[in-house]
Amino acid sequence: MTAVPEVTMPAPRRRDAPPNDHRGSWIPNGAMIAKRFMELRRRRGLMIALAVVTIGIPSIFLIIRLLMHAFAPHTYGPAGGYDIFTGLVAGVLYIFGFIVAATLGCIAGAGDLQEGVFRHLVVTGRSRVATYLARIPAGLAIIGSLIATGYAIVCLVCCLAAPRDLNYQGTNVPAGLSRASLVTWAGDNYGPVLCDFPFRFNGGPKGGQNALFPPPCNQNGQIDLSQMPPGQKAPTVAQMRSFAEQVAEQDYTDYSKQFLSPSIGLMVRTGLWIELEAAVGFVVALGLASLIGQRTIAVILMIVLEVILTPLFLRAHIPHMINLQRSVVGIAMDHLGPAALPIAFAGGQNDQSQIVMMTRPWAYVVVIAWLVVWTALGAWRMTTRDT
Amino acid sequence: MTTTTLSDSERPRVAESEWAVETHGLVKRFGPNVAVNKVDLRVPRGCAFGYLGPNGAGKTTLIRTLLGLTHADSGTMSLLGYDVPKHRDKALARVGAIVDEPRFHAHLSGRRNLELLAAHREPAAKERIDGALERVGLAQRAGDKVSKYSMGMRQRLGVAACLLGDPDLLILDEPMNGLDPAGMHEMRNMISSLVAEGRTVVLSSHLLDEVERTCDAVAIVDRGTVIRQGPISELLAGASTILQIESSDNDKARSLIENSNLGLQVDAGTPGLGITLPAGVGRDIVGHVARLLIENGIELYRLQSVQTSLESWFLEVTSRLGSAQ
Repeated sequence: MTAVPEVTMPAPRRRDAPPNDHRGSWIPNGAMIAKRFMELRRRRGLMIALAVVTIGIPSIFLIIRLLMHAFAPHTYGPAGGYDIFTGLVAGVLYIFGFIVAATLGCIAGAGDLQEGVFRHLVVTGRSRVATYLARIPAGLAIIGSLIATGYAIVCLVCCLAAPRDLNYQGTNVPAGLSRASLVTWAGDNYGPVLCDFPFRFNGGPKGGQNALFPPPCNQNGQIDLSQMPPGQKAPTVAQMRSFAEQVAEQDYTDYSKQFLSPSIGLMVRTGLWIELEAAVGFVVALGLASLIGQRTIAVILMIVLEVILTPLFLRAHIPHMINLQRSVVGIAMDHLGPAALPIAFAGGQNDQSQIVMMTRPWAYVVVIAWLVVWTALGAWRMTTRDT
Repeated sequence: MTTTTLSDSERPRVAESEWAVETHGLVKRFGPNVAVNKVDLRVPRGCAFGYLGPNGAGKTTLIRTLLGLTHADSGTMSLLGYDVPKHRDKALARVGAIVDEPRFHAHLSGRRNLELLAAHREPAAKERIDGALERVGLAQRAGDKVSKYSMGMRQRLGVAACLLGDPDLLILDEPMNGLDPAGMHEMRNMISSLVAEGRTVVLSSHLLDEVERTCDAVAIVDRGTVIRQGPISELLAGASTILQIESSDNDKARSLIENSNLGLQVDAGTPGLGITLPAGVGRDIVGHVARLLIENGIELYRLQSVQTSLESWFLEVTSRLGSAQ
């Protein structure tokens, strides 16, 4: 090999790195976060898809219900209210919020790699960990604001368009009654109470000895004594009032959980819960996509986790795997949700005894562990990846 | 631009090395394949340096290793006097690079892409965006999405991205790819102007003609190994020269030269004759040939000594090494 002799050239530059330049730090600066936010936000197709799911679907559902109620109020109930709120949150925003957050996370995690921009970022000398971490606040700002917008619309409609009377078991009942008031109301309205309210005898219906079982109701849900079986003595009004009061006494606990519209406390807790679910979806997807360097496969895996594995592990008690089931983030998130909401993936039911149980502290531990582990995995792969 | 006054204790260490790029025994393997094989490379500061080799010779792998895009298996390296990867952040602060074809976020405009990259550099980088776009001739199209850019425009955007850090060292991997002749001419001029500002430009290419026109010094790489390096003028001084002859009677001239005691081999060219003069042969041989022909009644129309091109020399060197192996 020949040595390189001195070359006659203009005076070469000899400068140090810029002063106060912390590009070796793993903490991203504000400009990196802001520009990453810009890069994600300008993916027009993605943003439209996210907005359609998080804002469009609930909005369209509520608009249709508003129109139907406006044109046929006796046929179609009010657009808002407590039941609509819980249904939309548990059935749409919670599940689809996770999926769209995961989609955004996958694109944020593997977009630079697949589009060949990652190497441009690396040769700036900036810490790869900082480059990775800048995506988290940027992505959360996008998905958080979208879900907050959709959720705000749901809350607004559910409060403003709530029904004036509480519909309990098909019967309009004044909302917010005390136990004594409900009992009194039931005595005054014994017809619909006996025909519509659920009730049970000690020892079950077959063992019961009550002249009013089954109640003589017609197709309109009204007491019709002509429906009494032949030979059976018709009950008196006093008997019917008394029995309706017993039924109301039994049903008060269930009635007390029914509201015309969601309370502010419930809305706040629910909002924080679905935002946390979206944040989990985004961060886990970001780590997964960075780890495998592929966004499409990562999106598929995230959907499988949310739509197949989580419901399966939530409802099936698999011997010897119960602790594994308890470590699934979707199950932990279900246990952190407000108790008033139906369980996601449980068909609108709220029977906690049917699902895998875990304590609330353990649920927090599982969620935090998923966030930390997947962030660490994604950042590690980002620093070790050849590109 | 604002300036910051630092005390002596705060002042960063000055990189004193005379080499912009320096490697010792650098090795990079991909399984059983050795892509970079014990490379000792020294690139002087303030020049245009060509890193030449055929496709698959390991040019891009060496660049990726230098820039920290992949890890070296053994050896040491430094950029602008800073050891890498130990002081990679300080070294890359004054380095701009294009690796492979320049790719950007297609959904963003050229300017937005540069803003994203500038955010990863020092705050002053943002203020250089307009100047960089102007310099590469993309100021008018800066607002267009990159998806609408031609390959040549992307190459120029890549150079603009390199300029964001006001670099002392630019590493350009195949920057002429995809450029039309006018674009190549512009790129050559740009590289020359960058060197004229005291910057170092390392140019990786398999286009020897372009490197010969653009660079002051080169390293020739083949199969991961640097086989020659030095200033082009000195490397070619060790190469053969062609003596081109056009005369009134080429056949007679050929016969005279071959039968003389000059010991030259004559090839029939178009038009005229060509004589390959080995390296080290003095200029007086040209006078001997001229005298021989004129004294034998042959009229000389042209007698020209032509230096071997880098391309011919490269083929000569690599074929010689290949046959030796």
